[in-house]
Amino acid sequence: MSFLVGTSLLAVVTALACALPGAFVVLRRNSMLVEGIAHAVLPGIVVGYALTFDLNSPWLIVGAALAGLLVVLCNEWLIRTRLLTGDAPQGLVFPALFAAGVIMISLDFNHVHLHTEVVLIGDLNLAAFQQLIVNGVSLGPKYLYVMLVVLFVNVAFIAIFYPKLKIATFDEQFAAVLGLRTKLLYTSFMFLVSMTVVTAFHAAGAILVISLIVAPAATAHLISRRLSVMLVLTALFAVAGALAGFWIAYALDAATSATMALFYGFMFVAVASIDALATRARRRRHARTRRPEAPILPTPRDPQRTAEAQTDI
Amino acid sequence: MDPIEFFGNHTFRMVFFGTTVIGLVAGALGSFAYLRKQSLISDVIGHSALPGALLAFLIAVVVFDVNGRNMLGLIIGAVVTGTLAALFANSISARTKIRIDTAMAISLTMFFGFGMILLRVISNGLFPGKGGINDYLFGNASVITIADLNTSIAVGALALVLMLVFWKEFALRTFDPVLSTLLGFRARAIDTVMFTTIVIAIVIGVKAVGVVLMIAFVVTPPAAARQWTTTLPAMVALSAAFGAVGSGVGAYLSILLGNVPSGPVIVLTLFAIFLFSLLASPRRSVITTALRRARAREALRRDLLSEMTDT
Repeated sequence: MSFLVGTSLLAVVTALACALPGAFVVLRRNSMLVEGIAHAVLPGIVVGYALTFDLNSPWLIVGAALAGLLVVLCNEWLIRTRLLTGDAPQGLVFPALFAAGVIMISLDFNHVHLHTEVVLIGDLNLAAFQQLIVNGVSLGPKYLYVMLVVLFVNVAFIAIFYPKLKIATFDEQFAAVLGLRTKLLYTSFMFLVSMTVVTAFHAAGAILVISLIVAPAATAHLISRRLSVMLVLTALFAVAGALAGFWIAYALDAATSATMALFYGFMFVAVASIDALATRARRRRHARTRRPEAPILPTPRDPQRTAEAQTDI
Repeated sequence: MDPIEFFGNHTFRMVFFGTTVIGLVAGALGSFAYLRKQSLISDVIGHSALPGALLAFLIAVVVFDVNGRNMLGLIIGAVVTGTLAALFANSISARTKIRIDTAMAISLTMFFGFGMILLRVISNGLFPGKGGINDYLFGNASVITIADLNTSIAVGALALVLMLVFWKEFALRTFDPVLSTLLGFRARAIDTVMFTTIVIAIVIGVKAVGVVLMIAFVVTPPAAARQWTTTLPAMVALSAAFGAVGSGVGAYLSILLGNVPSGPVIVLTLFAIFLFSLLASPRRSVITTALRRARAREALRRDLLSEMTDT
């Protein structure tokens, strides 16, 4: 397998592994929590690296994922104390964890030679550098197989718990009434997300990881009304964005992860604009064909969202 | 290290006063972001300040042929991109069915990604003064000059003066937006001024603290101050004090430890202040709540017992 093909495959698999759980993250309004997780795993990575000296060690991945989960659990606890307001609980814990990670790195904690910038930016090409060679035949980057495992675990989790996840995502109270252990489900799901973030870190860096989790799912959410459709579209957008973003970055010789993140953003904006134009055209056609005396129904609005839009600063 | 030696050193003095000013301004103005339940937007603004600061660097170096690290240029560039990012996030959530948290994440990754591309362009190119440009990510308080400090003080003071001049409007809009509109205040105008002051409070920290950790300066002091106070003036004043003291102490500690960036140490100091306030503030805190609950339970038990013995 040539280096370029292997690297773009790594990009596709990483994108899929992140984007599929991302669909539930977006629907559950946890996008900014993922941003917190992506920062908070840093001390976990540093400590894990200092103990194992292997960025691919499963111990490191689990340890760092626990650091990410800490943000989720602390967020829940802070909300439960009812002493804080708004979205502040989400913004209080992760900067402290991230700061602890930066300090550890700068103190050269146990001679860890990590660069904070590398962690933030990540480098797909660097992650793809170690090739798996069997009998003299290159089978693509080693890290590709790590991400394949993560992808498999994520798909398996979603497939097994699909009905439960669906109910818990759209109507948590109903799920609780049915006797589902929503809290356990939610915590294990967020642990999985956290683990995905940690493994994808190496290939993508913090910023692209957030983009991979949030952007394809949000793009799919724009134009789908069913969860199953949304998941399929999420996967399609994730793959298309990974390939296009990777090759654009390659052609322009720009920073790979950053270019891909930007490309996913533009893809979202493009789909949102096309969708808005299509809706407007449909409305106009509707207005023309409708008889003048027909009552014009007001579009139903979610009162909570309207209130949200009004308090924007 | 004794204080005389500490303040006798120019670099230490700059680090100390530079970060204290940032902590003071961000703490005061962060209160309004906190009370309006919009704390996380400061993370978007912080990250999005990166492309602005770098564009300002490029324009200063390429077009005007002056020092690219000019604080005023940096602040202007960062205010522009930070504001654009926040407006972008708000417009996504207003126009599509995507909610504000996802909109913020998309806006943040786009602007920060663009910043990262610029960062690569600058470090690969031949620009004078590009050394250490990576410091914008995590900040480097030891490169603050007297001119930088004066600019931060001037710009920060401007934001605080705006806050004091529009105090009444800010307070009303924060606590009773409907009444404020009924009384004839223009919501959009007040929001613009309030928002601008918050953006200023965030971007003056880019050079010393970096874009990634600025959120802590805006979110943590108000969350701590809220546990001790019940009025707006008290909360803003205490939050500013927490920000200033936390930054000063953190800067001092970072120098004492040596070879540790001051931004992260300050963030941990602020977090310690917050944790203490949340756990042990006498008015409202985890411990007070637990005690009150235990006392109420005990009282209820006594009442029930006495009723049982009465009958």
